[in-house]
Amino acid sequence: MEDKETKSDRSELNRRTFFAKLGLGSLSVAAAGTAVFCYQYLSPNVLYEPSPVINAGKPESFPLDSVTEDVNSGIYIIHSEEGLFALQAICTHLGCLTAWKQELGIIACPCHGSKFFVRSEGEHKPGDKIEGPAPRPLPWKKMWVSEDGDLMVDRSTEIPPMQFVRV
Amino acid sequence: MAKTLENYFNDLRRTRLWRSVFRSGWGTSTLHRSLAIQQNVFLHLFSTKSRKRMMSFSATWYLGTLTFGTFLILIITGILLMLYYHPSVPQAYADTKDLQFVVSSGMFLRNLHRWAAHAMVFLVFAHMFKVFYRGAYRPPREFNWVIGVVLLLITLLLSYTGYLLPWDQLAYWAITVGSNIALAVPVLGEKIHFLLLGGNAVNANALLRFYVLHCVILPLAAVVLIAVHFWRIRKDGGLYSHASEPRTIAQQLATANVEAAKPEAK
Amino acid sequence: MSDDKDFVTGIDSNAKKTPRRVAFITRRTSAQVKVTDEEQVQSYPELLFRVAVAIEVLLIALVVTALLFNAPLEGLADPSHTPNPAKAPWYFLGLQELLHYFPPMVAGVLVPGLVVMALIVIPYFNINIEADGLFLRDRKLRVGIFAAVSIGLTLFLLLFHVYVALAGTLLMVAVMTFAAYSSPQSPSKFRRYLASKPLSFWIMTWFLVELVVLTAIGTFFRGPGWEWVWPWQSY
Repeated sequence: MEDKETKSDRSELNRRTFFAKLGLGSLSVAAAGTAVFCYQYLSPNVLYEPSPVINAGKPESFPLDSVTEDVNSGIYIIHSEEGLFALQAICTHLGCLTAWKQELGIIACPCHGSKFFVRSEGEHKPGDKIEGPAPRPLPWKKMWVSEDGDLMVDRSTEIPPMQFVRV
Repeated sequence: MAKTLENYFNDLRRTRLWRSVFRSGWGTSTLHRSLAIQQNVFLHLFSTKSRKRMMSFSATWYLGTLTFGTFLILIITGILLMLYYHPSVPQAYADTKDLQFVVSSGMFLRNLHRWAAHAMVFLVFAHMFKVFYRGAYRPPREFNWVIGVVLLLITLLLSYTGYLLPWDQLAYWAITVGSNIALAVPVLGEKIHFLLLGGNAVNANALLRFYVLHCVILPLAAVVLIAVHFWRIRKDGGLYSHASEPRTIAQQLATANVEAAKPEAK
Repeated sequence: MSDDKDFVTGIDSNAKKTPRRVAFITRRTSAQVKVTDEEQVQSYPELLFRVAVAIEVLLIALVVTALLFNAPLEGLADPSHTPNPAKAPWYFLGLQELLHYFPPMVAGVLVPGLVVMALIVIPYFNINIEADGLFLRDRKLRVGIFAAVSIGLTLFLLLFHVYVALAGTLLMVAVMTFAAYSSPQSPSKFRRYLASKPLSFWIMTWFLVELVVLTAIGTFFRGPGWEWVWPWQSY
């Protein structure tokens, strides 16, 4: 007799806990699913931002030993002895737009005084830091010549330094 | 596995960090269950005990609760929709199309928002009629009824201002017709029309005004009045429905006597 | 009880029991004791879980609807082209139907304004607090007033050709007449029910009937130019 009672007691508790766990489990699954869908909703699928790839025009418009800053796209197009290359003009410190100081032959940032090389000098490559709080050198950006003979720069792709485009 | 999970939670509940946030602790005792209501800033609008007979479905059909539920759904879906919507002309229409075809789950959220809105208008009318037919507007609940009527108006206004936001033909002309009715108000009609639209026609200013009304001003007013509405329920003596009232002692005695008399009559 | 005071008080301050309300009953009213004690349960979990389940069921119903039916979206707003018909959202279609018969000042301002005012003042008028059947007191007078109002309203609606509202009104008049000739001793339960209904019930039910009828007409029976169409006709 006692055995029967304890058995039914135990099974009653099991039924209650079973349904409680079933309910809580379903709620957790629903919550997890909602979280996933929420994350997907919050990440835009389409961005109305300008393309990172820009067309800089004909390579001839960049004579030898010239440094040209395009403030709208935030890059320098530099034609040195080794060839053409593109440097990021946005300072790697906190995002200000740097400027080409022709009289000093360097790139300088007006916000906190970082200075960068623009030509190779000894061990230093173009883009390396001369002085200042910037944590890393100005990166080199991927550059190539298109089928139409235009100079193209992809601002979203960094390349290792000292890779030149020769025309 | 489940046992250790339970143990883990029990240990967690005993930590100092947990007890600093949830002061009352968890338990099935009457004290714990009362504290769960009374110590909670959101829940202590309720009383710790409720009348059992008013919790039956036939007492209220839970219409007030369901109306509040739709309101919560609308707030959550509405805030999410706001993240992709620019209230400018004609960007608003492009954003609505984006929400439907480009944004993940955008179509679903827009649909949910629209159907919850229709449901809320329907439920708030149903709730009002039920409160009336069950006599729950009678003293001491008169003022709560008035608050309810104001909430009905706010719900209709919320629906009306939201209707314009997609900036499609349906929205534009529905609002044009509606705001022209405001012109019919004597003396102040033109002024009201001008202030409502922020101009003389339904244009960019009107969209922005309706957007601010729909997303900020009216929801805030609704939340404040809902809080007062719930508070008044409690202060006026709890939920009431004459159909759910217990029978008077006299009625109870009468039926008891009849039942007792039957075997004798036989 | 012939006391000098208007009331007799007795307060039991036993703090261990549920807090009690003290009711002061004036001589004019007759108090009936319904219960001396009522079953109460803990709000958590009894009430809160029921509320949670109700809202969950609502959420599921709405989510399923949202997954199956799309919200409408027409073309870009074009001020130079009015669609035909240009309909308001469904909860305003009753109003728009009314606008067909009366000038905007009446249908758009007066009627809604009066309706809102009437709703607000309901609990402040004694006739709405009474729960007695309308025709159970001062019968001759009340039936007379009812007849006069019915005829007046019918003539008014006929004058303005508001046939749709007239249909609803005539329906209510018929039911109310039925109620006037019923009593609490009538054989059928329905007639006893009708006889017990107060004036506030009849006015509100008339309002509800008109609201439903006008909204239904505006939704299903109105097409281009706000002309009468049958719901199965496409336009």
